[in-house]
Amino acid sequence: MSLELLVEAVVSGILLGGFYAAVSLGLSVAFGLLDVPHIAHPTLLVVGAYATYALAQLGIDPIAAGFMLMPAFFVIGVGLYRFYHALFERRGGDIALRGLAFFFGIAFIIEVVLILVFGVDQRLVEAAYIGSSVQLAGLQMPSRMLIAFALAGLLTLLLSTYLSRTFTGRAIKAVAQDQTALALMGADPVRIKQSAFGIATATCAIAGALLIIVGPVEPGMGRLYIGGTFCVAVLAGLGSMKGTLLAGLILGITESLVLTSLGTSWAPAVSFGLLLVVLAIRPSGLFGR
Amino acid sequence: MVKLSVNAIDAGYGAVHVLSGVSLEIRESETVALLGTNGNGKSTLMKCIMGLTPVTRGSIVLEDDEERIDLTTKSTQEIVALGIALVPEGRRLFPKLTVHENLLLGAFRAGARTEMQRNLDRCYAAFPVLRERSGQLAYSMSGGQQQMLAIARAVMSSPRILLVDEPSVGLSPMLVKQTMDMIGTLKRELGLTVLMAEQNFHETSRIADRGYVLVHGQIAFEGKNLQELLHSDLVKRHYLGA
Ligand SMILES: Nc1ncnc2c1ncn2[C@@H]1O[C@H](COP(=O)(O)OP(=O)(O)OP(=O)(O)O)[C@@H](O)[C@H]1O
Ligand SMILES: [Mg+2]
Repeated sequence: MSLELLVEAVVSGILLGGFYAAVSLGLSVAFGLLDVPHIAHPTLLVVGAYATYALAQLGIDPIAAGFMLMPAFFVIGVGLYRFYHALFERRGGDIALRGLAFFFGIAFIIEVVLILVFGVDQRLVEAAYIGSSVQLAGLQMPSRMLIAFALAGLLTLLLSTYLSRTFTGRAIKAVAQDQTALALMGADPVRIKQSAFGIATATCAIAGALLIIVGPVEPGMGRLYIGGTFCVAVLAGLGSMKGTLLAGLILGITESLVLTSLGTSWAPAVSFGLLLVVLAIRPSGLFGR
Repeated sequence: MVKLSVNAIDAGYGAVHVLSGVSLEIRESETVALLGTNGNGKSTLMKCIMGLTPVTRGSIVLEDDEERIDLTTKSTQEIVALGIALVPEGRRLFPKLTVHENLLLGAFRAGARTEMQRNLDRCYAAFPVLRERSGQLAYSMSGGQQQMLAIARAVMSSPRILLVDEPSVGLSPMLVKQTMDMIGTLKRELGLTVLMAEQNFHETSRIADRGYVLVHGQIAFEGKNLQELLHSDLVKRHYLGA
């Protein structure tokens, strides 16, 4: 591999990594902080992408659409958590396995609904920044990837500030560690988790907009992102937002280098391969406490 | 004036009956000891007061001037909001949060947020080691430091009534002494009312005004003052090795 090719691969890997971080931040909250086996997270991203598509049909800019959808997605997340809590979590037992089954079922149902509403064809949106690219330091960079990278940075900053600076944010960090202790601080653990799940789902609105900005989407696409998002959330050390950004970059760069040197057929193996290597060396993730 | 009274309560865990007909009273600015060896129901009583374990009979009443509030109908959040805090058995810190984050969580309840900075200064002044280690993760601290953090975290909620469940467990005799002294000092400085569950009668007697002895889920003895407790046959038999 020539040096020029290497630099190009690393730079596009960094940009791709920003995108991976953006789509994984919600999972870092739901799975990393709350311990909820939220396997439907990538499917909610796809819902965010289709909702963005629907708004774009009305002439709304896709990024603006992503932000506009956040409150609705927060409410969806709250509803989803309440449902999960009432039916599963509250009853105890082997919550990990039953939770996995619940969210798998949810993902499946959502996928079917998406097919019924939008059909199986690929959908995409149009905007000035989608086809264009920017010349930076002699490198050609697609504008849409730069936007994904910038939004990932912004989301990470907002989330980590919220989690460390607000009372609810700090309670979200604590709730999976000891619910009874949190109740003794005067917080209601169920309401705290509910807010956290709402926030995690709200990130799917913006990340979903990015998903359809980066490329066309189809209803079953969520399944392709299970490996990548869980890889990033675990790599991040379960629950660290800045760790999620760094883990996304690591996955992006690794994938880009593997694709450049070994060919695209290796793509699906990269995320799980990376996950296995990290779990073998450092089970608590790279940036975990 | 605040007064907490437990009136003939029964409580347990499903088919396991733990407390039967337990009554006790804690009046403003007292330090009351709840003595009892392993498994006699001290922690269960503490959890009943905090609304963590349901009470099947009797009442737990907080009297505040003219107001009478039955705590058995309240949630843990509501009880904490009334100014009652528990330093739980086993400390129950948030292990993967820093000392500082643990303390800030103590100030979660609405009534404590405005006093957060003042309480934080107080806690750091009372426990300088917590200030030195404010960025350290709670699980990585020694047992004594963890106990200090657990007490400080409860103080962060600006309580009027502080319940402390066996603070001496797992500590060296010297640390037990220090911990007791610290509870005594905080009580005086903050004007707290304290109920402390303990097995270590000797150390408890240094700060307690009076106490109760719990045996098999019933109050077996009530000492109206420290002298009465010291001379109780039960206490002599169980705690003083006589
Ligand atoms: N969650 C629970 N489920 C069932 N039984 C319990 C539970 N917690 C405590 N018990 C039982 O209740 C009884 C009283 O326990 P409790 O913890 O209140 O005693 P304690 O006086 O605090 O003892 P220790 O000094 O060991 O802390 C014990 O027999 C114990 O086995
Ligand atoms: Mg106990």
